[in-house]
Amino acid sequence: MRNILAIAGREIQTYFVSPLAYVAIFFFVFVCGFIFTLAIYTGQTEADMAPLFHSMVFVSLMVAPVLTMGLIAQETNSGSIELLMTKPVRDAEVAVGKFLGAMAIYIFILLVSLEFPIMYEVWGNPDWGMILSGYIGLLACGIAFMAIGTFASALTDNQIAAWLIGTALLLFFWLVGWLGYSSTTWLTDVAKRLSIYENFGDFARGIVDGKNVLYFLSLAVVFLFMSVRALENRRTV
Amino acid sequence: MIRVEGLTKYYGPHRAIHDVTFQVGQGDIVGFLGPNGAGKTTMMRILTGFMPASAGSASIGGYDVYTDSVEARRHIGYVPEHPAIYPEMRVSQYLAYCGKLYGMSWPQIKDARDRVVQTCGLEERYQYIIGRLSLGYRQRVCLAQALIHNPAVLILDEPTIGLDPNQIRQVRDLIKGLAGEHTVMLSTHILPEAQAACERVIIINHGEVVAEDTPEALTAQLRQAQTVLVKVAHASGTVPRMLRDIPGVTAVTPVRGDDDAYYVDTEIGSDKRSEIAKFVIDHDWGLLELRAIEMSLEDVFRQLTTEEKGVA
Repeated sequence: MRNILAIAGREIQTYFVSPLAYVAIFFFVFVCGFIFTLAIYTGQTEADMAPLFHSMVFVSLMVAPVLTMGLIAQETNSGSIELLMTKPVRDAEVAVGKFLGAMAIYIFILLVSLEFPIMYEVWGNPDWGMILSGYIGLLACGIAFMAIGTFASALTDNQIAAWLIGTALLLFFWLVGWLGYSSTTWLTDVAKRLSIYENFGDFARGIVDGKNVLYFLSLAVVFLFMSVRALENRRTV
Repeated sequence: MIRVEGLTKYYGPHRAIHDVTFQVGQGDIVGFLGPNGAGKTTMMRILTGFMPASAGSASIGGYDVYTDSVEARRHIGYVPEHPAIYPEMRVSQYLAYCGKLYGMSWPQIKDARDRVVQTCGLEERYQYIIGRLSLGYRQRVCLAQALIHNPAVLILDEPTIGLDPNQIRQVRDLIKGLAGEHTVMLSTHILPEAQAACERVIIINHGEVVAEDTPEALTAQLRQAQTVLVKVAHASGTVPRMLRDIPGVTAVTPVRGDDDAYYVDTEIGSDKRSEIAKFVIDHDWGLLELRAIEMSLEDVFRQLTTEEKGVA
């Protein structure tokens, strides 16, 4: 646990000495803020966060691979991974530590985004139960996104490649639900259940459903496990 | 302290090291010597648990580097060939981070950090950002992180590469100072380094151990012939041929750049200096100089590694 925290702590430090964290925060707040403003100017009359939550989760999906692309790929590329992996740390501790580092930045971004519901509160009367459920959903999504990004970063020593792989994987899980709109067979049902979009929907509507939480957590566990395997594999080549 | 048995490593079809066996006792300084591409770095990476071997086993302080890797790594301080350290961190932060990864408590880290900063001469660069340090200082930071947990075994892969002569001397002195308390294994392709810093040398070529002994014994034991340098006042074309006729002399070669001097190779174990002196004086060539040539480790190394190449 100590090792995980040490590695996560170093990652957080790195984010804030590089422009990456600031740019990611700026990107998230700017895009979401733009959508927020547009919605109000184009006739949204209720202090309803649900449409914004859907935008926020998609912007998260774009930001996540940027936050995670360097986690392992950069260390592999610079060679600093050699000093890390010859320390008495398990591969799993490396993967989880780095994942948590990215998670911390993501949580920070979510905290900054609280300005939107606060604005609703100042000028309107929002449903805080729904906002809470939406944020739980965003957090659950983030856990899955960061795990997928960590995996992508463990696959290659090129950050751009890691970013692309991460984005592709996330878009797959985002779009796969569309299959479910065409017809209803067991396959399309599975596709819908695999979809990030479908699983996030309930959170945005104010429902925290255990099976949706479980979906995001299992996605995270699977991809973290694969990250560890990818790290182990790096040792053998 | 370090035990290696039948270690073999393949990268795909390419064999990097083959059936390497050796042992290093506690407190020894052992040099791992070989030309570039001989398998030194592969060896070091296996020992430090960075990559597994294809066959064979290795252990550090009794812990197998593969099956008990994390425990083995606890006892190792490692300086890789390229000191890639996080450029955005400060020296002090980085050393603390490494201390944490070695499971040290905060008071322990603070004490150890002060100690290694002093040992490695980093006092003035303590708060610097690593990316702004010169290569020499980065190498020292690397050495400092390897020493922070006071490891039983130090593994140094080409620790003086890229340093200026002064820094090289400092690092070598530092390594020598570590002997006794730490077991040191250092790899190098620079012979004087092995000769200067190591008590024992393992010569590796094409992934195989070709010789192993003290630098002195290696030079003595492995020289193929004893060579005597003879310099005369009145040289003539017949001198080499006539010297060659002395019983026990195997070859005579003129010294390049000096027409009056010759290298006279004699049979192993025979000291022909007095016979050669008498011969030169009897022929009235005017003996100016006569001395035995010590074969350097470099000669041994060249001999061993070129022979090996001939076999392969």
